Amino acid sequence: MTENTNLVVETNDLGKRYGERIVAVDGLNLEVRRGEVYGFLGPNGAGKTTTLRMLLGLIRPTTGSALVLGAAPGTPEGLGRVGALIETPTFYPYLSGRDNLRVLARYAGVPETRIATVLEEVDLTARAGDRFRTYSLGMKQRLGIAAALLKDPELLILDEPTNGMDPVGIAEMRPFIRSLGRGERTVLLSSHLMSEVEQVADRVGVISRGRLVAEGTVDELRGREGLWLRAEPLGEAERLLGSLRGVQEVARGGGGLRIAAEPAAAPTINRALVEAGIAVSELRPERASLEKVFLELTSEQEAA
Amino acid sequence: MTRIVSVELLLLGKRASTWILLGIWAALALTFAYVVPYVQYTNDPTRTSLSDLLPESLVGTLMAGFPFFGGVLALMLGVLTVGSEYGWGTLRTLFTQGPGRLQVFGAKLIALAVALAVFVLVAYALGAVSSSAIAAAEGADVAWPSAWLLVRGLAGGWLIFAAWAALGMLLAVLTRGTALATGIGILYAFVVEGLLSALAGEISILDRLVEFFVRANGYSLVAVLGVSPDDVGDRGPGSFSGPFVAGGQATLVLAAYTAAFVLVAALLLRRRDVV
Repeated sequence: MTENTNLVVETNDLGKRYGERIVAVDGLNLEVRRGEVYGFLGPNGAGKTTTLRMLLGLIRPTTGSALVLGAAPGTPEGLGRVGALIETPTFYPYLSGRDNLRVLARYAGVPETRIATVLEEVDLTARAGDRFRTYSLGMKQRLGIAAALLKDPELLILDEPTNGMDPVGIAEMRPFIRSLGRGERTVLLSSHLMSEVEQVADRVGVISRGRLVAEGTVDELRGREGLWLRAEPLGEAERLLGSLRGVQEVARGGGGLRIAAEPAAAPTINRALVEAGIAVSELRPERASLEKVFLELTSEQEAA
Repeated sequence: MTRIVSVELLLLGKRASTWILLGIWAALALTFAYVVPYVQYTNDPTRTSLSDLLPESLVGTLMAGFPFFGGVLALMLGVLTVGSEYGWGTLRTLFTQGPGRLQVFGAKLIALAVALAVFVLVAYALGAVSSSAIAAAEGADVAWPSAWLLVRGLAGGWLIFAAWAALGMLLAVLTRGTALATGIGILYAFVVEGLLSALAGEISILDRLVEFFVRANGYSLVAVLGVSPDDVGDRGPGSFSGPFVAGGQATLVLAAYTAAFVLVAALLLRRRDVV
């Protein structure tokens, strides 16, 4: 594999198989660009965590290869510039949050002055002296993010970082993750929560059954914006819309009509419907949510 | 490397289980080497020789406990040093910080070796204090063993501990945890080695096999340092009545076991997936 300096993560037919029957990751080709927040989406068991573990050298791939910051996964050259939180944060239960970070700082060769900074960043300074075993799940998650930030890494790998957080914590985490991705730092964010990824990611890759089934910006994946209509009688509205200029497609769904047309055409469509004696009760712009796209993509893969 | 060894020492030092094992070891060593024999002596001076309880016999008196309960405690310390990392999931945290897997393992190994040295020194310090106190109480002359014997005793004790602790580490890596590793380790020490050693006298073919057991070589090593075979032959589950091998052979076999256990554990830790 040749190194592309703009790519922070590059995998080539990466695969992981357990025995003959279980294929966790199947020929994955992933490209994460420098400075972006890359959302890695997939249902539970799709192979997200296995992929991230392979990128960190914790798991050896059975096929293919990967480069992380130009180095083979798990090598000191790469790991020294990567911060990671994989699944649930794992720390020494008998040590305080601060002492746990001290252990990791010494392991990573990071000045201990960074500890106070990252604790402040995740708002954990007040409880930093308490033992890890006394932390709530949300606090453990925040300590995990603090640990990942300790090296001030070029690449931050976060696997389900809002696990266990309450709604307020999740809402606070979104701009925080967004801010982490500013500048040169790259964030690889794995999640099964669409709204979480939709609001923070520059690009998204969708994985299902170990394979990448779609990749692009959030807008690209959601497709073009259209219109949603509720009217009476619906059949007559459908026939009329089919003959109107600027309407590419009309489809029934959810008790109304989905219209493939520019949202700017809404006044023209409304006027045509009203002049034809059709009662319009709702006409609004509509765009497929990432969740809908995700469900379609992953169900297609399941069916295949 | 020094930096991460200091971290591993910190981790061992702040762990309650390290101090609990040290406390149990100190209590057992003191009780069986000095307290019980001295009580026996005060009750019936013909049953125990006072000279065994005086400073001059420090090495021989203390060392009897090393191959038996001392070894099992060292095995448990070895299991906990690596096995707990699997249970807590901290191994994957350490493996993603930068240093390679073998460096992490090496740091743990060195920290464990230091902890074992502390265990040995604590036993000797307590033995020195106890034997001095008995000498003072009995009005006996205080004479210490030669420096050379002391060094051999300290080194021999550490080597016996190292072999058992390395076995503990290997079992922890094999089972990726603490509970099963501890169970297998104790089962091996008491049932496999213990029972087969006991049967060795009756089934001649077992004699050659037992000569390569960890405990047989441990007992052979302490025998060279002044522990009488009679002292370990009638002590319940820890009893060992032979076969004994030469001191040099025992040292080599224990060192080879330590090296082999460490090597296999290191290879497994380096190669296997960490989930």
